[in-house]
Amino acid sequence: RYVRQLQRLQLLFSPTAADARGARQFVEEAAQDFARQHPDVVLYVSPHSGPGPAPVLRAEYLNGTVREELIASKTSEEIVQLATKLANQSGLDIIRIRKPFHTDNPSVQGQWHPLTNKPSILTVQGPRLQPQ
Amino acid sequence: TAMAARLLLRAARPLLAGAGRGTGLDTGLDTGLRTALSTAPPPEKKRWLRAYLELQRLQAPPQRRSEKPNWDYHAEIQAFSHRVQENFALDLLKTAFVNPCYIESEEARRRQLGLDKHAAALQLQDNSGLAERGLRFARAYLAQGFEGAYPELPAKGIEALVNFLTSRELVSYVAQNLSVQDLALCRDFPAPPDVLQRTFLAVIGALLESSGPERTGVFVRDFLIPQLIGKDLFEIWEVVNPMGLLLEELTKRNISAPEPRITRQLGVNTVLPVYFVGLYCDKKILAEGPGETLLAAEEEAARVALRKLYGYTENRRPWDYSKPKQGLAAEKAISSN
Repeated sequence: RYVRQLQRLQLLFSPTAADARGARQFVEEAAQDFARQHPDVVLYVSPHSGPGPAPVLRAEYLNGTVREELIASKTSEEIVQLATKLANQSGLDIIRIRKPFHTDNPSVQGQWHPLTNKPSILTVQGPRLQPQ
Repeated sequence: TAMAARLLLRAARPLLAGAGRGTGLDTGLDTGLRTALSTAPPPEKKRWLRAYLELQRLQAPPQRRSEKPNWDYHAEIQAFSHRVQENFALDLLKTAFVNPCYIESEEARRRQLGLDKHAAALQLQDNSGLAERGLRFARAYLAQGFEGAYPELPAKGIEALVNFLTSRELVSYVAQNLSVQDLALCRDFPAPPDVLQRTFLAVIGALLESSGPERTGVFVRDFLIPQLIGKDLFEIWEVVNPMGLLLEELTKRNISAPEPRITRQLGVNTVLPVYFVGLYCDKKILAEGPGETLLAAEEEAARVALRKLYGYTENRRPWDYSKPKQGLAAEKAISSN
């Protein structure tokens, strides 16, 4: 069955900073809807008062990866889109994939080896018997 | 007045030191006094301070997720039940995550802090009962599933498969990837694999109590059986003498004893020969297996023949994950416990 890989989202922002305006609007308007639509993601909202670090959305996945995305100077809709994008991702590292294909069953009839189509030494081949 | 000046200087110096980056300490003491009394700029952190804090952060010992900021146990448990798409009775689920080592350590800690025995006794229950019930149900359900899917497989083979699927490594791996290690309450961190196994089986037991055997069977099927994908039968089931086992199987089906013959061979006089030995019953081929020496090839041929007879080849039909129709199988699992 499908298990959403996103465990929890932490929204760290400041209640007074100018670049956290989108984050504050998101908390006021869209955070509850987002939490209702994704009941298996725990959403933590933690405003830290005073001048501090930039507003950040921290996503923790089931395999332990923690991904932080800056939400400074983003609008509320953009933050919603970003949150849904994080919710649909798995926690695998975002690195270059070497091959765009992968298969768990590389061979259906058995992989070829040099002896696949060679007849076995037990089959006896002789001159055709004359009809009697 | 000299004392006062020195005290003022001492108060002023830390304010100046940050701003001056160590160069303004000696010069401008008079100006320092005046600026300290007026509005001082906030002290900037020294360059080495950030590096030092980062080093402290990297060298700190790993902590449980529950001890880091932003943790709400009730919300996490609800999210767990939604993630697994099952309806749990939440108090049963909370008991399922409580391990006996946690209760002992908590009571010891409370006694150390000075409470007497009555106050120190926790109101929490163990998960050992739930874990036992979950283990029994999982084993019975898996055994029944395998008997239905591979009817030719003998009892020892089914037992080996079930033991593999309920083994410590596999269950703790599944539990870790479902975030059970964050929710489980236990004494040591990181939680040892047997604790994770016990907690996961207790979760299965809690599901059994809350939703009934059908849904629990579907849960066990969805999370434990995919771990068999890509695994070969004889990786899981250790068979010492495959030829003897094959002879037993053939006598059960009234087929004559197999006759091994070399089918193909390559590089006989080299360091890496390859022999293909075929097993023939009544001059008809049963199985063929490769090997480095003739004995190894014969054993491999016996294993291939056993795989074909038990129906556990690589090209068998995949497991049936469709919705169960009547749930008779799960009820039989409960009644056969």
